[in-house]
Amino acid sequence: MSALPHWEVLHTSVIGYGKKLNQDWGQIEGTGSAQDPLVLAVADGHGSVAYPRSDLGARFAVDLFVARGREFGALIRPGRLRRLRDYARYELPEQLVRDWQTMVWEHWSRQPGPEGADAPREDVLRLYGSTLIGAVLAPGLFVSWQLGDGELTVVDEDGRVRLPLAPERAELGDETASLCIRKAWHLIRVHWEPLPEPERGPRLVALSTDGLSKSFASDEGFTAFTAGLYERLADRGVPGIAEDVPRWLEKASRHSGDDTTLALAHRAEGEDGTPGPDPRTAWATAPEPAPPWDAGTDPEPAPAPTGSCDGTTNDDEETERP
Amino acid sequence: MTDLPGGAMANRPVHFIWLLDTSYSMLGEKIGQLNYAIREAIPEMQAVARDNPAAQLLLRTITFSTTARWHHKDPVEVDAFTWQDVAPDGTTNLGEALHLVAGELQTPPMPERALKPVIALVSDGAPTDDWRAGLRAIEATPWGRKAVRVAIAIGSDADRGVLQEFLANPELRPLDANSPKQLAAAIRWASTAAVKAASQPVAGGNGPGDGPTKPAAPYAPPVLGTDDDDVW
Repeated sequence: MSALPHWEVLHTSVIGYGKKLNQDWGQIEGTGSAQDPLVLAVADGHGSVAYPRSDLGARFAVDLFVARGREFGALIRPGRLRRLRDYARYELPEQLVRDWQTMVWEHWSRQPGPEGADAPREDVLRLYGSTLIGAVLAPGLFVSWQLGDGELTVVDEDGRVRLPLAPERAELGDETASLCIRKAWHLIRVHWEPLPEPERGPRLVALSTDGLSKSFASDEGFTAFTAGLYERLADRGVPGIAEDVPRWLEKASRHSGDDTTLALAHRAEGEDGTPGPDPRTAWATAPEPAPPWDAGTDPEPAPAPTGSCDGTTNDDEETERP
Repeated sequence: MTDLPGGAMANRPVHFIWLLDTSYSMLGEKIGQLNYAIREAIPEMQAVARDNPAAQLLLRTITFSTTARWHHKDPVEVDAFTWQDVAPDGTTNLGEALHLVAGELQTPPMPERALKPVIALVSDGAPTDDWRAGLRAIEATPWGRKAVRVAIAIGSDADRGVLQEFLANPELRPLDANSPKQLAAAIRWASTAAVKAASQPVAGGNGPGDGPTKPAAPYAPPVLGTDDDDVW
């Protein structure tokens, strides 16, 4: 029986060099257990005079994702993953975008700007424009979503660094997909990664706004940053780097000129030495909320007895890109 | 504090290319004022660069008349940029100049890691070659489609329709410079506002969403006053 991972987390954000307002936002909640899934989110408001309320847009995005991510994490059950995967791919992205746009519109209605409460909805949404990256880590499953720029970086047990949500071709010249685009859910990339063997799951999951990656002279430089970050975490844990990270991000912001936010979850080895319950046990004891889809689509066929938590294997890992 | 992990850090370049009409119609006061206006705008460009330390402002110049040629072929850092006067001689081969620009907007030589390039077109007449072929060549490059474009129309003979097509954005208009004072103001605006626009994020992106929201136009040109005695 494998111990469930013990996650230590860190969230830091620094304002862009020479800027007056940090338009990034980030948050981490939960522990990664079945009862309390770990949810990480960062958002990057577009800033500049064209997006004067994007700091609020970023905050709305993170608040919404954390709430929806926790609901999503509570839905994870053996025999339900296929339906849950479809929900993660199609329904949750649309729900997030629609909820964000509703939240923005309601805020504008309460506190309209000089354009007036009856300004065109499209113009109002743009004022709050923001990206979003979010991840849910729960026993047996890691799922992440990304709209727009920024990076979700994973370090595996062998030290390999990967960016499962990286677009096939990055946007040129600081253009980014945004929650303010009318049907932005079509632009959300989704990564689905069952973790049937907890001891082989990710060691580090790091979400960062583009102010970090764009400060490096090359993509390889950013990958090396993540590898080095992981090495330091493996040596000293989060407490050992907590004071360094803000200085690193400040240095990055001087080169990218952008607000820079990092939210990470590091799997601490050895601190939780007593073997914990495997995911089947964890789910068995967790309260089960009603799914947000038609119950008629549950349950799925019983999983094959492969020793994994639900019959899925790491071969089921996949990333959905627009 | 421990060392920052990872590779070297660097700010990102903004490639700014002046495209200047040096046809015969510019002879006389116009070319003199153009040389003066650009020389005077250099300190303001340097100030903008200082305000945007994350951007490395690099300048180049193409002149076009009977042929198009580089006035500054290699990108020059704005702090090292000096102006050598240009002189008029011949027809208005804008298309050839646009082809020269298109060649530089390929990747490579343009790096993928950069801020949007700026193309600033200044003209007082109508092209005498196949300028649309040059424009298509620019549109065929990834950076050409992303570039921040500004256009300045000098005097009443400038073909504003051509400049409007060059801008490729119905929300933008060429900036009219009908007097020396207006030309100086237009050059100053193009030198600074476009650089700021190039270094600001834009909601948009490629993909099957329902298209970007109405684009913001932070570099929409100002309305210039006409209190000048000497009107072209």
